[in-house]
Amino acid sequence: MSSGWKAEILAVYRKELQTELRSKSGLVTAGLFSFVTVVTISLVLFNKNVNAPGSGLQDISAGLVWVVILFASILNLPRTFLLEEEQGTADLLRLFARPHAVYWGKVLFNILQVLGTATLVSVLFLGFTGTRVSVPWIYVVSLIGGSCSMAGAVTLCGAIVAQAANRAALAGAIAVPLLLPLVQLGVTGMRAAFGSGLVGGGQAAAVGLVAYAAIMLAIGPWIYAAIWKT
Amino acid sequence: MDLRGHLENLNNALRALFALLMGVVTVWSFQVPDAVGFQRPELARIFFWHFPCPLLLTGLLFVGSYFSFRHLVRVQGFRVESETDNRERQLWDIRAVAALELGFVFCVLTMITGILFSLVQWGVWWQWDPRQTSFLLAMLVYGAYFALRTAFTDPEKRAANSAAYMLAAVLPLIFLIFVYPRLPQVEQASFHPTQSIMKGQIKGAYAQVVSAVIILTTILSVWLYRLRVRAGTLELLAEDYGQLETHGGHPAPTGVVRPVSLSDPH
Repeated sequence: MSSGWKAEILAVYRKELQTELRSKSGLVTAGLFSFVTVVTISLVLFNKNVNAPGSGLQDISAGLVWVVILFASILNLPRTFLLEEEQGTADLLRLFARPHAVYWGKVLFNILQVLGTATLVSVLFLGFTGTRVSVPWIYVVSLIGGSCSMAGAVTLCGAIVAQAANRAALAGAIAVPLLLPLVQLGVTGMRAAFGSGLVGGGQAAAVGLVAYAAIMLAIGPWIYAAIWKT
Repeated sequence: MDLRGHLENLNNALRALFALLMGVVTVWSFQVPDAVGFQRPELARIFFWHFPCPLLLTGLLFVGSYFSFRHLVRVQGFRVESETDNRERQLWDIRAVAALELGFVFCVLTMITGILFSLVQWGVWWQWDPRQTSFLLAMLVYGAYFALRTAFTDPEKRAANSAAYMLAAVLPLIFLIFVYPRLPQVEQASFHPTQSIMKGQIKGAYAQVVSAVIILTTILSVWLYRLRVRAGTLELLAEDYGQLETHGGHPAPTGVVRPVSLSDPH
């Protein structure tokens, strides 16, 4: 990567970071949403042994973790592009940066956001419910692969709907169908990590998530560049 | 009678022949012996009309995605954007919408015929079978595509952003349609066969009727697609009256605005 590209990407990334740190709106929303939903789930699972083999609760736990991460991402990630249009800064960005740099800068910021949210959800969930992770590496790889895939897909959806009517609601509505396959892979991986599913299946799911992330991050900038000037 | 008249007659004859063939195949589908190994063998004939639908919806999905790609390639500015290019881009969008609209219709038909089959053979109309689920999710992607199109008033933004979404959706759709139902754990839990053709499980008269229905529905799809593209092109031309072609294929003269009195003279 040439220094010009690197500087542009880092400039966009720093802009996003500073904007977020100034208002803290996205961080607070995602954090609060994650906390409230995990507490609610923990209340529902109160006095239940989630690690009991054959109870099915490990499968449900895997699904719940991904549902929380999915909705926290949908709430938060499209904002990077939606705010540019709402604050009238999108045209300025078009003048100063190349589309690939804008996408990469924003997606890097969003990857950090999802990874932060996923870590918070994991710590709270495992702590509150006492779920035991039998295969930690599958858990970690699934979480990282899933977070990168989600960041890539939701950032792109945010860019696509940025100039549409009713953009905030629409971003979530069009992102969910794209994210459901990766939630399926994430749940398969996490079930294996919790000791419920087959380890081989979990490994395949974790690899699938990483591949999904790689493809989504590879095609994302090209698709974004195609709609950049419209 | 001129050449146009002859072609019109030929078209009408072909339409009549198509309707006749459709009727013959429908009757034929009731003549073949009942399938074995089904709860209600006589109702297993739903399969004849169910099977071509997912094939067509998948084909149309990839055709629509390719047309969306062609639309976006021009937007990226790989070549100078003249007015002809703009018109060409609009035509690619019309083709993409035509293919995807038709694909959505076949997706709905897949769901309806699949639900009927599930109800009569397996006793429940919905059981989260991996195949049912994957086509439900494919339907959601189609729904999201059309919802996105309604959110833009500017035709150029509508076309470019919906094309971008379709390209982003190709990867999840490939996973849903081709990979997910064939995952070993998923395949074991499903009633739905996934390799019927590859394993040669459809034989004899059943294979002949299914092949005939596939051919006829494909012809019907091509015909409907062409009609939709023609309607879309006419809409495009009507928006720009000055470029509307005359009977001879030449551009019509610029429209003359005639003053009209707003008050009633009587």
